[in-house]
Amino acid sequence: MADKFPSLSSAVCYVDPREALAWLEQAFGFEVSMLIEDGEGALAHSEMRFGESIVMVGSEWSADHKSPRSIGGKNTQTVHIQIDTDIDVHCERARAAGAEIIMEPATQFYGDRTYRCRDPEGHIWTVAQTVETVTREQMEAETGLKITGWA
Amino acid sequence: MTSKVYVALRVKATPERAFQAFVGEIGAWWRPSLLFQTTPRPGVLSFEGGEGGRLIETRESGKVFEIGQIRAWDPPHRLVFAWRQANFPPDLHTEVEVTFEAVGAETRVAVEHRGFHEVPAGAARHGWPDQLLLVRLADFWRGQVAAFGGRLE
Repeated sequence: MADKFPSLSSAVCYVDPREALAWLEQAFGFEVSMLIEDGEGALAHSEMRFGESIVMVGSEWSADHKSPRSIGGKNTQTVHIQIDTDIDVHCERARAAGAEIIMEPATQFYGDRTYRCRDPEGHIWTVAQTVETVTREQMEAETGLKITGWA
Repeated sequence: MTSKVYVALRVKATPERAFQAFVGEIGAWWRPSLLFQTTPRPGVLSFEGGEGGRLIETRESGKVFEIGQIRAWDPPHRLVFAWRQANFPPDLHTEVEVTFEAVGAETRVAVEHRGFHEVPAGAARHGWPDQLLLVRLADFWRGQVAAFGGRLE
């Protein structure tokens, strides 16, 4: 039962969080798991669930919380989605919902097939699926990097 | 406009089974809460009748407290009932809507509790401003829905 709050999750700011809730469901299949509206109907808090994780979708609730739309499209962090099936189908679903695909799905040296897209307010999301098992030695040989922390 | 607290969770059951367990077994899965107590000493909740019926709490003494009348009864899709706590003013009835939507082999159960911001200062509000009250109410319902989901595993 996915009812526990994960140890780490993201809160993402939007000019129009309601629009974002609908878009994130349509594009990525996130499901609204909590929504709080005040007596005037303004959105006070919302959470969406995807697998065992959650993302909080909020407004620009302080002068220091901005959507990329309000700051020239800049992102200071991005959210990563890891799936275990059909990355290319996932990408087409996001594209159909209006995502701007800024990197088409491509298999990376570390064994994940990844794409990157921008949502309607400019947040950049990466999506990946592990498609090959790659050893540390293979990665080091291919990239010339010294890699630690890879089993 | 009214305030709205919404929580949703997938449970491992068909909508038919989920609806039946929600209304038929509420006495078994419901977890009384100190913060959102319907009566000072918790009793056993049950839905009495379908359309036109009510949600009641039967206390150990046998006394029955009516939490609210059933306002919509559409098994296995939707259920709406009024929600009144013993510590509410007499004329205040908030409203709860529960929906059951099939998602593959599972069911997405969503609870929407409307109008709780109208609870005045006093016992039911614990001195909290609207925002905190509504966040706590959402936590309360998240716990109830999780307990309900646990029963269906």
